[in-house]
Amino acid sequence: MIPIIGLAAGVLLGLFLDPTVPLALQPYLPIAVVAALDAVFGGLRARLDGIFDAKVFVISFVSNVVVAALIVFLGDQLGVGAQLSTAVVVVLGIRIFGNAAAIRRHVFRA
Amino acid sequence: MGASLLDDVLAETLDPAYAQAARRHAARAAVTEGDEVAPRPERRRRAQVLVALVMVIAGLLVAVTYDQAVTKSEGRDQIRNALVHDIKRASGVSDDLATQLEQLRSKVGATREKLLTASTAGQKALDDLARAEQAAAAEAVTGPGLLVTLANAESSADQDPVGATSGEAAGGRVRDGDLQLVVNALWAAGAEAVSINGQRLGPTSAIRFAGEAVLVDFRPVTNPYEISAIGDPDTLSSRFLAVPEVSALASVAVTFGMRFDFAQEDHLSLPAASTPELRVAHAESPEKSAPASETPGG
Repeated sequence: MIPIIGLAAGVLLGLFLDPTVPLALQPYLPIAVVAALDAVFGGLRARLDGIFDAKVFVISFVSNVVVAALIVFLGDQLGVGAQLSTAVVVVLGIRIFGNAAAIRRHVFRA
Repeated sequence: MGASLLDDVLAETLDPAYAQAARRHAARAAVTEGDEVAPRPERRRRAQVLVALVMVIAGLLVAVTYDQAVTKSEGRDQIRNALVHDIKRASGVSDDLATQLEQLRSKVGATREKLLTASTAGQKALDDLARAEQAAAAEAVTGPGLLVTLANAESSADQDPVGATSGEAAGGRVRDGDLQLVVNALWAAGAEAVSINGQRLGPTSAIRFAGEAVLVDFRPVTNPYEISAIGDPDTLSSRFLAVPEVSALASVAVTFGMRFDFAQEDHLSLPAASTPELRVAHAESPEKSAPASETPGG
């Protein structure tokens, strides 16, 4: 319950405080969000599987976000930023989809 | 490890670290057998707070990114609207200037006519001017003539629609050369004025091909192409048909299924050609030509 409240609080905070993001970081926001979603879905699934671990969750979240942004940044420097962000989105998208399916199986037993 | 990278990605959707942590816990539980390894309460609390904090960050990220995307598209809309507004205003100004130019031109013409009709020399000059203006396509004309129609081949139903497009692009499409050929044949046949789809051809008009579109005087004209020529319909059509290139084009048109036909019209009206570019003319005088020769390289 607490994590969901946290998520809602974060969303509200972001919408009402309207923080400005440095221009240099803006291109990496969407990819960071996808990475964050992957970590969150992974955590939720682990919880339903009964193997949730706070340390793993926090570390996987932070590293996911940082690594995804870093890969895209590196790609931008090498001139393949668009392709690498596609790669990141595809891989993370597949994982999110798989985790969502596992969560669905837990929730609906189907 | 899976057989391939793709298999790994598809099969291992959950971070393996969770399973490892669970195994570690189980191992520790086995070692300290009996007294359930319930983590100490303050540690549990700290873990919960940490998870909640991460979730707050996740929510913040989502909200900020959403906000960013929305404001970005809003800004784009604003800029687009501003540009559209600018374009509309500029084209309005240019339309106003064009009508003003038209008015001034007609005023100049009227004044010139009034002044020149007084003398016989002036009358002669006026006649010369009228002839020149007609040749330069500066005035709209009406009269009987010939209407030639050229059109791209229509993709027939029994053809493969996918394959047909490339075939049509190759052969059945009217090209700038075809229009040039027809127009030149019409001039040769004695046409007094020619227009393509209502675009009058002047002495400096060009018929070009740019990508998919045919440009007449840098303005695009589209399929079907209607070429109107003013002149005596009978002599025009007989002489037009006598031009060898026209019969060649007719057979090409039959081969590729292009439409190519012509009709005699009693009444055709052609607009004036686009306003010719103004050039400043200098009177040639000996005193003036002397300093001109001093320019470098002259």
